[in-house]
Amino acid sequence: MIESENLLSLEEVTRTYGSDVKVHALREVSLNILSGDFMSIIGPSGSGKSTMLGLLGLLDIPTSGRVIVKDVESTGLGDVERSRLRGQTIGFVFQQFHLIPHLTALGNVETALLYRGLSVAERRQKAFESLEKVGLSERCDHRPVQLSGGEQQRVAIARAIVTDPLVVLADEPTGALDSENAENIMEIFAGLKSPERAVCLVTHDMEIADATDRRVSMKDGSIVEDLVREII
Amino acid sequence: MSRILDLVRVAAAGLTARKVRTFLILLGPILGVGAIVSAIGINESSKGYLKEQLQELGTDLIVANAQDSLGGFGQNPRIPEDAIGRVARLPDVTSVTGTFQISNIVTLPFEDAENYYRAFPVPVIATGLNLPTTMEVPMVSGRFLNDFDSSNAARVAVIGRDLADEYGYLRGESRTISLNGVSYGIVGVLDWVLLEPSMDSAVFITFPTAENDWEIDNQDPSRLYVRAPTNTKQVSEEIPTVVSLGGPDGARTSVPTDLLDAESQVDESLNNLTKLMGGLALVVGGVGIANVMSISVIQRSSEIGIRRALGHTRSTIGVQFLFEALVVGILGGALGALAGAGIVWLTAWMRGYVMVLSIPALIGWGSVSVAVAVIAGLYPSLKAARLEPLETLRLG
Repeated sequence: MIESENLLSLEEVTRTYGSDVKVHALREVSLNILSGDFMSIIGPSGSGKSTMLGLLGLLDIPTSGRVIVKDVESTGLGDVERSRLRGQTIGFVFQQFHLIPHLTALGNVETALLYRGLSVAERRQKAFESLEKVGLSERCDHRPVQLSGGEQQRVAIARAIVTDPLVVLADEPTGALDSENAENIMEIFAGLKSPERAVCLVTHDMEIADATDRRVSMKDGSIVEDLVREII
Repeated sequence: MSRILDLVRVAAAGLTARKVRTFLILLGPILGVGAIVSAIGINESSKGYLKEQLQELGTDLIVANAQDSLGGFGQNPRIPEDAIGRVARLPDVTSVTGTFQISNIVTLPFEDAENYYRAFPVPVIATGLNLPTTMEVPMVSGRFLNDFDSSNAARVAVIGRDLADEYGYLRGESRTISLNGVSYGIVGVLDWVLLEPSMDSAVFITFPTAENDWEIDNQDPSRLYVRAPTNTKQVSEEIPTVVSLGGPDGARTSVPTDLLDAESQVDESLNNLTKLMGGLALVVGGVGIANVMSISVIQRSSEIGIRRALGHTRSTIGVQFLFEALVVGILGGALGALAGAGIVWLTAWMRGYVMVLSIPALIGWGSVSVAVAVIAGLYPSLKAARLEPLETLRLG
């Protein structure tokens, strides 16, 4: 059995917004995301889960505490290093898909591979393979407007995994989809489980959370529960 | 290198995705560079045309107009007839012709046209017999007035080429023209006189005929045309003295080609004004680029956010937008230069100019367009680079 590795950690992370009136979005939160994790972060609106996603995804910097990506402490890094680390280790999937409208499905997936010294042919090949993994290779030359919501989210997933990231972070990935498409997308996420990778879904939907192997519950900027499958 | 190619591809994709907006952004540099290139090109081409005309006309013709003793032009100032001989004897003068324009004559090619030609009278000029030699203009039909016509005060006339066209005069045709009802036989048609265009629609008769038929008192001309191939300026200065001999009758001289020559000099102030106007158009274009690109940054904030999430750095995002401005500058400059060159070519073709277009100027103004576009793109690029991904991605 392969031993789980700590891929992404928050160590006593606090995030405060505002200068005059301070709002504590996160209060001294610690969390370890391990390789092989298929987990969810769940909580009501305002519980701090989106703030946590921003910090886990290196899109934000904590007010205090540390964010560690596979032994690299990210909080002290400059924009270039942090961006590079983010691009190499984390893949994002968003509720609103956030596909670039003027690019095809293939072009959108390719965007994640830009500025990495790959030739156009190499990029296209990898992007195509990634689209194949989500079952959309035959629609690779379609623009987002020509795709259904479910298909757009599959393109977004292909874009998230094309760089082979350590952690896939998904923010309400089924929030904009009907139940059938949501089910399909959850199947794809379940299929992304791998001993080397972690998949983390941020949601307020208990049904989605129940489909994962680990559930981290949040309330008022703190983690109130961290349960694994056996206990769930 | 592959990074730069990637940036160019991304910039090109961004521009081609929104064709109408890109076209609107491009209009600024196109209009600016096009205006400058075409204005300077047309200016230079017309000067080239004038210089060419000058070479054709020669610069040695002097015109001396009669002037009265008060220094101005009296009602009917004349040059004494014997002054023609004195001017002709000047060392550098090769030919002199005196003319006098007779007033109050209605010239009719045919009876029905009386009303029109009363409203627009044709000039009737009494002239010396060597006018074609002095003006260096050939006859397109027939002959000029000769000694026989002069000694017999014959009722014959030569007409200018435009007048011949207007009358529908056929080459060699035996035809008369009516001057206040008196018929004159047309003996020839004088070709265009480039330095004295009024002669193109004039009727020429001899001085004795004019004196006989139209009571012009004497055969003194009011104007002398003098050809002096060498020392033209000096001869021009000598003529007033030779004409007046210290007496009250004088003359004021001018060299018609001097005017053309002055026109043909590169008018720096006009050129500078043109450049200033074109520069202003480019600046306005630059403001347009900054404006449209700033709006574009807001519209594309989601795209910027996702690119940042995918690992693109602030500087990469900034440079991506700067490259879009660069592409706009290069494309706009090139299209503007092409459009300007096209306008110059068309104008030169329509007016019969020789097209003059400076390639370094084309490249120079194209480069200015690139510089303006890049400067204009700086602010939107910085704005794009500073966007926080969390603000644009609207996490759930």
